[in-house]
Amino acid sequence: MSPESLGALGLSARVATVATLVDALVGIPLAYLLARRTFRLRWLADLVITLPLILPPTVTGYYLIVLLGRRGWLGTPLYAATGWSVAFTWYAAVIAAAVMALPLLVRTAQAAFASVDRDLERAAFTLGRSEWRTLLEVTVPLARNGILAGLVLAFARALGEFGATLMLAGNIPGRTTTLPLAIYSAVQTGESAEALTLVVALTAVSCGVIFAATRLGRPAL
Amino acid sequence: MSRLEVTLQARLPDFVLDVAWSAEGRTVVLFGPSGSGKTLTLQCLAGLTTPAAGRVVVDGLVLFDAARGICLPPQERQVGYVFQGYALFPHLTVEANVGFGLRGQPAPLAAARTAEVLGRIGLQGLERRYPHELSGGQKQRVALARALAPEPALVLLDEPLSALDAPLRRALREELLAILEGWKVPAVLVTHDLSEAYHLGEHLIVYEAGRVRQSAPRAELLARPASEAVARILGVRNVLRGVVRDAAADRIQLDWRGQLLDVAQSPALPVRPARGSAVAFFVRPEDPRLLRKDGPPPSAAHHGNILRGTVVRETDLGVTRTLYFRLDAGGAPAQGDYDLEIEIPRFVHQVLQLEQEPQWEVSIHRSSIYLLPT
Repeated sequence: MSPESLGALGLSARVATVATLVDALVGIPLAYLLARRTFRLRWLADLVITLPLILPPTVTGYYLIVLLGRRGWLGTPLYAATGWSVAFTWYAAVIAAAVMALPLLVRTAQAAFASVDRDLERAAFTLGRSEWRTLLEVTVPLARNGILAGLVLAFARALGEFGATLMLAGNIPGRTTTLPLAIYSAVQTGESAEALTLVVALTAVSCGVIFAATRLGRPAL
Repeated sequence: MSRLEVTLQARLPDFVLDVAWSAEGRTVVLFGPSGSGKTLTLQCLAGLTTPAAGRVVVDGLVLFDAARGICLPPQERQVGYVFQGYALFPHLTVEANVGFGLRGQPAPLAAARTAEVLGRIGLQGLERRYPHELSGGQKQRVALARALAPEPALVLLDEPLSALDAPLRRALREELLAILEGWKVPAVLVTHDLSEAYHLGEHLIVYEAGRVRQSAPRAELLARPASEAVARILGVRNVLRGVVRDAAADRIQLDWRGQLLDVAQSPALPVRPARGSAVAFFVRPEDPRLLRKDGPPPSAAHHGNILRGTVVRETDLGVTRTLYFRLDAGGAPAQGDYDLEIEIPRFVHQVLQLEQEPQWEVSIHRSSIYLLPT
């Protein structure tokens, strides 16, 4: 494997890991709220979270540019304040991967939270537990497998992210060229052996992910 | 002895609960058809649902008072709850389930208390089991042990026996009563099974469609249902309707199916019905007497209200038989294809040779006709 390919592999692992962590922080509480609370604009939250699952990745990437590009809604004030733009950095790859992977985590974790019998939570309340302690001691342990399955799926999606990453982060060798982008470049430039190596590596990882997700997806007890 | 005072008004999207009752006694049973608001009442007592208005007082302790803005959260009510289906924590052992409510205490104390409770409820040896490894009866006991371990001031049980099959149910009914008795904890139980309600409750409260139809000590309720609706909910048989022909201080005459019935003035009926008014009444199936054809002619002193008719069907219940009796008088029968259900012991059925002779005269004593307040 060439140094460039190894670099792409390392970058992909880093991007997918960070994106999954970000999704965990945002997505798990969001999944709990969607499963257990009714609030105004719930439909909007539902829509925004789910859209990346439906839209072509390039369209999601386009929206991200509109939002975060140097002339974007958030990008302009950020650039004015710091002289820095997130576009075409590895952070951009993280953001693109996180946005694309979020629906998979939220949908899976939301179903896991919803499948926890509410009487179990009520029982914990009558036995003196606050809502927060009940969440930690009852709801999350019982939804654990579903949450982990969601994280595994999100990681896999983040690892394979191509379209939105290309739009927001570009394809800069050594900086934003993740594994899928490296495969594309290798095929484009006729390095078929290199492409094959990367394809096999990515396929192996994906198989492992499917295996892990299926095992975790089984209900607890 | 404890005293409960409950007033609740709650409005759900498709249901309105509006109840007020008070009860004394160790066990109070909320009885009524499914969807009549019994479980919602328990949830209001436990603080799991906050009603729009009302008051909940347990032995002088105010748990909820909408007018004064008092609403203790479930964590502070000291109310144990045995959920329908038990709601045992599936990821915790029996021991951890029972000890779950003892977390405020130092660990050695909590462990000792858990062991004591497990011992008293007969769960020794199951400490390390998980809920999915338990039988239905064991789950029920664990749920009860978990609710009782923190020594609640009141324990609520939602259909505590409905998840069990019939023979086990009867055995566990006794056990449940013994445990509640032994722990000296007042209990509110919910059931839609009449025999269970009658067996478990010192005080019964009849629910229907979000309202209380009657609240009375056990003995009073079955003897004197407060209304036709209660009688029907209680599954009383032969609930019938007639018209008052005459009403005197000690007796009432009813017109039913073209027959004139003499009725003794009922103690449950403080108001004398007006002449010409429609009334409901019931006749217990075991009360009508079949008149022997070879016996002496009926005397007015012993046999009031003689009715002629035909046995159209019968059901063999083993020890007893139910006869479906239709009056020979014209007009539509009162209950489908028959007028009265009559229950007789098996040996009487044999002695009277009922399978050969469907035509009978039946007498109903005037004190066996119970008028129901309308």
